[in-house]
Amino acid sequence: MLLEFKDISYKYPDSINDVFKNLTCRISTPGFHALFGPSGVGKTTLAKMMIGEVKGYGGEILTSEIHRILYTYNLERLPGWSSVREHLQATTPESGKDKIDELVTAFGLEACMQSRFAQLSLGQQNRTNLARYLLQNFDLLIMDESLANVDEVTKEKIILTMKNIFPDRCFFYISHSVVEVAKFCRQILVLRGHHRNPQTISLQGRDHTDGKALIKKDLEQTMLEIVNAV
Amino acid sequence: MLYRRIYQFFIIYFLGVMTLFMVKYVLDLSDYVIPGPMEIWHTGESVFIRYFFNVIDTLSVAVLGHILSIFLATIIGIIGRLTLWIGSFIRVAAYNIQSYPIVAVAPIIFILLGDGLSSRLLITAMICYFPLLLSFIGILSEPVTEIEHFYEATLRMNWRLQVKIRAFENINKITTVIVGSGTLAMVGTIVSEFIAANAGIGHSIRMALYQSDLAKILVALFLIGICTSLYLVCLEGLGRMIQRRLQNT
Amino acid sequence: MIRRLQIARVLKIALLLILVLSACSEKKQPLEEVNYRLKWLFNISVVGDLWAVAQGNFERNGLKVTVKPGGPEKDAIKELEIGHAQFGVASADQVIRAVSKGSPIVVLAQLFQINPLHWIYRPDRTVLRTPQDLKGKTIGITYGGNDETIMRALLAKFNIKEEDVNLFSVRYDYTPFYKGEVDLWPLYRNAQAPIIGEKLRQAGEKFDLLSPSKLGIRFVANSVITTKKTLEDRPDTVRRFMQALLQGWTEALDPENKEMAIKIVLKYNQETPEKIVRKQLPATRILMLPNAKFEFGKIDVTAWKQTEQIMLTQNLIDNPVHIESRLMPAVE
Repeated sequence: MLLEFKDISYKYPDSINDVFKNLTCRISTPGFHALFGPSGVGKTTLAKMMIGEVKGYGGEILTSEIHRILYTYNLERLPGWSSVREHLQATTPESGKDKIDELVTAFGLEACMQSRFAQLSLGQQNRTNLARYLLQNFDLLIMDESLANVDEVTKEKIILTMKNIFPDRCFFYISHSVVEVAKFCRQILVLRGHHRNPQTISLQGRDHTDGKALIKKDLEQTMLEIVNAV
Repeated sequence: MLYRRIYQFFIIYFLGVMTLFMVKYVLDLSDYVIPGPMEIWHTGESVFIRYFFNVIDTLSVAVLGHILSIFLATIIGIIGRLTLWIGSFIRVAAYNIQSYPIVAVAPIIFILLGDGLSSRLLITAMICYFPLLLSFIGILSEPVTEIEHFYEATLRMNWRLQVKIRAFENINKITTVIVGSGTLAMVGTIVSEFIAANAGIGHSIRMALYQSDLAKILVALFLIGICTSLYLVCLEGLGRMIQRRLQNT
Repeated sequence: MIRRLQIARVLKIALLLILVLSACSEKKQPLEEVNYRLKWLFNISVVGDLWAVAQGNFERNGLKVTVKPGGPEKDAIKELEIGHAQFGVASADQVIRAVSKGSPIVVLAQLFQINPLHWIYRPDRTVLRTPQDLKGKTIGITYGGNDETIMRALLAKFNIKEEDVNLFSVRYDYTPFYKGEVDLWPLYRNAQAPIIGEKLRQAGEKFDLLSPSKLGIRFVANSVITTKKTLEDRPDTVRRFMQALLQGWTEALDPENKEMAIKIVLKYNQETPEKIVRKQLPATRILMLPNAKFEFGKIDVTAWKQTEQIMLTQNLIDNPVHIESRLMPAVE
């Protein structure tokens, strides 16, 4: 077991409705996993519980071999006083410096390196932000819509690169895209409303990687399972 | 920018003077109540140089007081963001002290410090300090979550970085409030001179009031308007330069 | 026949009633409203004005007078010109300056026969046997004020150059004088000397007063004014106003009415303690009624001319104004 949610119950302050009621699920292996569900079901709240930003919930979140959890979301920005290159140089620990060029190339950020963050497109901004997180030391990275404004081709390239460079790390990918989640993720935690029992359903994704063939029929089957599970 | 500000001031000033003349001629008032154009001109000729140096004296105190208040507001603003309690205490203290009319407080300051530079500086700083402080506390206490989150998550955040982020992100607001408080600095200095100093244009205005000499007051207002406009243009230019440098660094 | 007699009786009674009613209604004629702007706040220097209101002098003369306090930002002359007031109080330098700028002001009465502006000093520390002893002294003046004018006239009269004295810019508080930094401090003899004198007395210090008037500088102080237009268009109003006002002042300054006068001042000025007002009243009387037979409000033409000359010499006015032509005494 790497990560386990045990009987998580939570209600927003000043709210009468539960967000989570006895939610239980687990992630057993590193890899690229997904947290999927309709808008407002509590994906971001669950993510924030993992990093300790949301407290006062019932139940436990247990981890083993996970010491550092980072959470990133698509609205983050870099400070405006330095270029992308300067920022990456300044914020990447020594252990990550050798990965800068590889990530920059894979993320298609070569042209952005001299620019300020405000000068980038939305897609470039999302990619830059994600790149800097990937260069940090972490055991689990929660990506909340981090590739929301990126085109499909680049998105695939980025995810495959991540899996290639960081095979031993754990990723939680929060996305609304059934296709992405079905195609790239190993384990898909489908989060449902608090009135549903069980509140989560764990599905097997296709976990597509470089060099691995993707069977269309299997992908469609997984997508159907996800849609039915919601 | 300077050219536009100056001619806009001229328009406002001369509109004001024309209004006075209209009132004078409609109500048939003597030169004692509202001086005629020739009297204003002759008075201007006789006092212009003296008043010019008085205004420069006032402006120099205003600039020093303004710098002092920016410096103080920055320090207190940084301290004020440390905890919610300190921040709210400073805010409440600032609101309360700001509500005291300066005409009541200034005499106490003059009694304690005399009528030299220090009392004028202090009164100037007090008048423009509080709006600066309240703005700075607001800016420096308000997290810029989209930028700060990365540094918090990666355990890189410290107070210097936090202040830098918040100041940078709000540089437009900061320069706006500094430019706006520049006018207050001038007003504050003139008020302090009017109350009890023996130098500066405020002192000259007080003497003119004792003599009911509106012509001298109009000349003083003209010079004050020109100098204040120049000061504000310099502040705006400085603000733009700082913003450009920060963005190009 | 009887009927005719009855009708006649009824008519007589009716006529009598009409006459009685019209007589009564004459007494209820509305009072003429005027505004009277003073030079300064309500204090001892306006005791006569307040008396005239409180004791009904104005009412008895068919006037409803609103007495408005003055202040540093209020100018009675300007208010008269604009029409916000019909009568006012201004000092001679204000009047002369206004006349020099074409203001249509006339003077009806002079309140102070001796200018209340004096300089207080400590005789133990500051020896002033003759005016020449002013040399080397630090003298407080209000730059732009009439105390500056008076002091300069005094120095000029006794050939004392400005560099022989140390002129000190006066503020509203007396700290420099109390601390001994200033030797002579300007104040109003009737209003402020009792207050400051009391403070010095409590500190075990003696004080004395330098009187420019006694040294020959006759600079006229507060006087009652109106506009030429009011005088020409409403002479009866002016007459009744001055009659009531002068009567009010005479009564207020009468030693027999001392207690009532003090009570009236205290009603309008709650800031000054009664003990001080009791000292201010006789001090005011001396300055307004130099002797028992003096008729209150007389205009001292010579003093006015001297005041004009002082202002001409100090370039406070550009040309002579012949102020005597604006003096319209209500008291002969």
